[in-house]
Amino acid sequence: MESLTTIRPELLTLSSEQFSALMPYFWVFGATVLAILAAVMRSLSPKWPVITVVLTGLVGAIVSVAGLLGKEPVALFNGMMVSDNYTHFFSLIFLISGVVTVFASIRYLDNEAMQHPEYYLLVLFSALGMMLMASSLNLIVIFIALELMSLAVYILVGYRRTDRRSNEAAVKYFVLGSGASAVLLYGAALLYGSTGSIGIRGILDFVRANPAALSPTFTLGAWLVIIGFLFKVAAVPFHMWMPDVYEGAPTPVTGFMATGLKAAAFAAFLRVFVSTGYGAGLTTAIQTHLHDILWMSAVLTMLFGNLVALTQTNLKRMLAYSSIAHTGYLLVGMIAGPHSEQGYAPLMTYLVAYAVMNLGAFVVLSILATRDDGGLNLHDFSGLSRRHPWLAFAMAVFLFSLAGIPPTAGFAAKYILFYSAVQANEILLVVISVLCSAISVYYYLRVLVYMYMRDPVGTQTRSPVSVWSAIAVAAMVAATLQIGVMPARVVYAAKKAITSI
Amino acid sequence: MAWLDSHLLTATVFLPFVWSLAGLLIPSGTEGGKTSLKIWALLGSLLTLAISVLIYQRYIPAGPEFQLTETVAWLPVFGISYSLGMDGLSLWLIMLTTFLMPIAILGSFNAVEQRLKEYYFLLLSLETGMIGAFVATDLFLFYVFWEAMLIPMYFLIGIWGGKERIYATMKFFLYTMVGSLLMLVAIFYLAYQHKVQFGTYSMQVLDLYKLTLGGGTFSSPQSVMFLAFALAFSIKVPLFPLHTWLPDAHVQAPTAGSVILAAILLKMGGYGFMRFAFPLFPEGVAYYQLTFMVLGTIAIVYGAWVAMVQPDIKKLVAYSSVSHMGYVILGLFSLNAVAATGAYYQMLNHGISTGALFLLVGMIYERRHTREISHFGGISRVMPLFAVAFLIITLSSVALPGTNGFIGEFLILLGSWKANPVLTAIAALGVIFGAVYMLWMFQRVMFGPVTHKENEGLKDLSAREIAVLVPLIIAVFAMGIFPNFFFQKLEPSIERFLARSIPGGAAVTQVVDPVTSSVQLVMKGN
Repeated sequence: MESLTTIRPELLTLSSEQFSALMPYFWVFGATVLAILAAVMRSLSPKWPVITVVLTGLVGAIVSVAGLLGKEPVALFNGMMVSDNYTHFFSLIFLISGVVTVFASIRYLDNEAMQHPEYYLLVLFSALGMMLMASSLNLIVIFIALELMSLAVYILVGYRRTDRRSNEAAVKYFVLGSGASAVLLYGAALLYGSTGSIGIRGILDFVRANPAALSPTFTLGAWLVIIGFLFKVAAVPFHMWMPDVYEGAPTPVTGFMATGLKAAAFAAFLRVFVSTGYGAGLTTAIQTHLHDILWMSAVLTMLFGNLVALTQTNLKRMLAYSSIAHTGYLLVGMIAGPHSEQGYAPLMTYLVAYAVMNLGAFVVLSILATRDDGGLNLHDFSGLSRRHPWLAFAMAVFLFSLAGIPPTAGFAAKYILFYSAVQANEILLVVISVLCSAISVYYYLRVLVYMYMRDPVGTQTRSPVSVWSAIAVAAMVAATLQIGVMPARVVYAAKKAITSI
Repeated sequence: MAWLDSHLLTATVFLPFVWSLAGLLIPSGTEGGKTSLKIWALLGSLLTLAISVLIYQRYIPAGPEFQLTETVAWLPVFGISYSLGMDGLSLWLIMLTTFLMPIAILGSFNAVEQRLKEYYFLLLSLETGMIGAFVATDLFLFYVFWEAMLIPMYFLIGIWGGKERIYATMKFFLYTMVGSLLMLVAIFYLAYQHKVQFGTYSMQVLDLYKLTLGGGTFSSPQSVMFLAFALAFSIKVPLFPLHTWLPDAHVQAPTAGSVILAAILLKMGGYGFMRFAFPLFPEGVAYYQLTFMVLGTIAIVYGAWVAMVQPDIKKLVAYSSVSHMGYVILGLFSLNAVAATGAYYQMLNHGISTGALFLLVGMIYERRHTREISHFGGISRVMPLFAVAFLIITLSSVALPGTNGFIGEFLILLGSWKANPVLTAIAALGVIFGAVYMLWMFQRVMFGPVTHKENEGLKDLSAREIAVLVPLIIAVFAMGIFPNFFFQKLEPSIERFLARSIPGGAAVTQVVDPVTSSVQLVMKGN
């Protein structure tokens, strides 16, 4: 990025490639604007117009992203953003989790008597923020995208506004999240100050050109940026906000956060990492330093997440801690990435698998949740296989997948991830990881014990299952098994995506 | 048929699973529906048995190492392929699986009355997992089957088991899982070593055999990785002191679950040692040979002692498994042809006789709803046919000459004498203890006056139960009298196994001495 003082007209117009590269964003943004209008017209039947608009926007965006796959990278807005396979790969994750979240929310909101059209708008807004995060090449744009995404999610978390837990979650998330954003922003400012560039490629160029002369300001800035990202992905020791937020948020939102939000944070984290040359171009001292930070964080994250999840009796909370644990596995992929042959492809495969199985699990929870997000304790699952044989089966698939047992996506992805970590000579780390995932088997299987091996307690009624949720669950089960049996396609797609950076 | 010819193994592996999926469509609400579900499952397992006989026919012992092979690229960037193949080591274990499955299904016709559809679905998917593990020649594929197998067993114990079923099934799952995850890390390391040494990725077991890895010290790759593999397999076998999951799982599992668990899942451990741990890490084996022989001997004696004092018949049989599988470990780690053949044979024997014992215990449990030895006595007066069958199986379990058990234990002790006379002498005591606990139990259950009123009206075996037991009794005698029939197709594989498992590889030629030649007599059947 050169001087900002001169305005070059050619930068203010869009070529046709750039226009088509922006189509997914137009779809989502257009749908947002239309949905706002539709939401205002209260005289219409309350939910369907908005839902139709929102779904059209999401599906339109999915189709146009699919059309862009495999094309050459297109630089956008003076190199502040880029549309490459990496962007598309993540956009698909965000959009699909958006669709699934909408599907899961329809009945859930009816049930909570909170069927406001704004809810769907906020989902769309945060999806847009996520897409921008995956495509930005500039720390300022990353920050803006992050805020767009987070602000929408703060509101969604507090959506059950009469519920204390939901309020607490929203406030906690807002305060801590803003703090983390501030830290990230401050780090970005320091990096700009010490390198003279706010674009991540510019920062890399500076670091490459002056390997020896990195100032303490730069180090501090880098630290702060990393801390900001570790907060967003909820790695230990920056995970404190997460269990309460996950528990307090409406269940479909929790699912959206656990998948979309986490994937978005990883997308930006990874892009900054790869683009600022982790693995290549930096001095060994910095490499080792980064490696050690991530290593400690990964080990602590896995241990903490899994050990605390063992004692949880509320399923949402358990999945929150398990989500922390999965962050740990993802960090293993991050550490191994530059030193193994497949690079970050295993990490991205794992993200896909994680998104699919976790979304599925949260849709099942959304179906089973009773009024005020109750009914999600372990004993509520007693004898579920008799009341809801298909839901119980789906949940079993997701739980086996989360535990990493074949033939599910979770196993295939974990296998690839740990294998590449062994290639990177991180054997101790892999041993710790597999032992942690052995711990995790216990708490995932305990849910199965309740669902299949215990008799129902008291009089539990069958919760009604909406067609939409059923479709979402069925699709996620199919995807979990499909990726588990045939992981090759996802791995190739991930590989293509990561090499396009 | 052309498709079947070239995909015989795939067909055998997946037939039960596909069959059971179709079975899900049968409505099970009515009595008629329940019966047709049972028949459907039985037919599926019989069909699998029929196909596996084709495998037996096609296998030529003198031919290439792996036969009926199939390979399809699966995840080429990591060298993972869908590769199946079988040799003598796989052959008899496949046959054991397909032979016992119909028996286990027929045996549970009356025992299981709830959630039939899931029950038979899980049993047949379990069969797919087990056969798959026996024919996978790609380490990844093996691991997939090895782990996937846990799922049906987990539910079988957890849903249809006894009072403590949840504790038992969790323990079973977690023990196996922890063991196999460390093996997984070793698998990664091995596969990566292939890339380092040969420049390409591969997980084919034949390629991995060619790796050169350092050995001889505690921290050398061979020793460490052998330990990782051995942990997984020892838990499955199960070897003392990792056996504690077994009595729980066996006692709590439904009859068919116990039968499959004892007869086939435990063999997975022995098979794993023979297919993977030994040939891949010969120097690791040499390093730990004595340790494992000692553990095997402890298992033999300890298992027998603990079995002796059990008040519950099923628990007694469970501990007898620990003892019998101890022989397998002792035989394998003796590292000579006689003992290895004996160990393999002992696995088959144990499958037949312990499977049958669990079925018999299940039959009496269905009648009396108790398994306490003290609740019986004089049963032979009220159930003479049952007593006869029980006697035959008991004698097979105590290794009476003429029954299958004798051949296995005799060969193991003969071979291990050469490797370590002291341990062999102790292990031979185990044979005596084995006779003591089995015969003592038999005497307390069967002989004497009928001490409990409830036992007076017990019905003798029904036609279905006779149909369940007769094939097993035939197998007991067939394996005891015609071992040569089984050895024929086994020998070349055992030789290859030994050639790889002894560092230096000069294994097979050097074992010609008086002891071996006497065994050659047994093996050749003269």
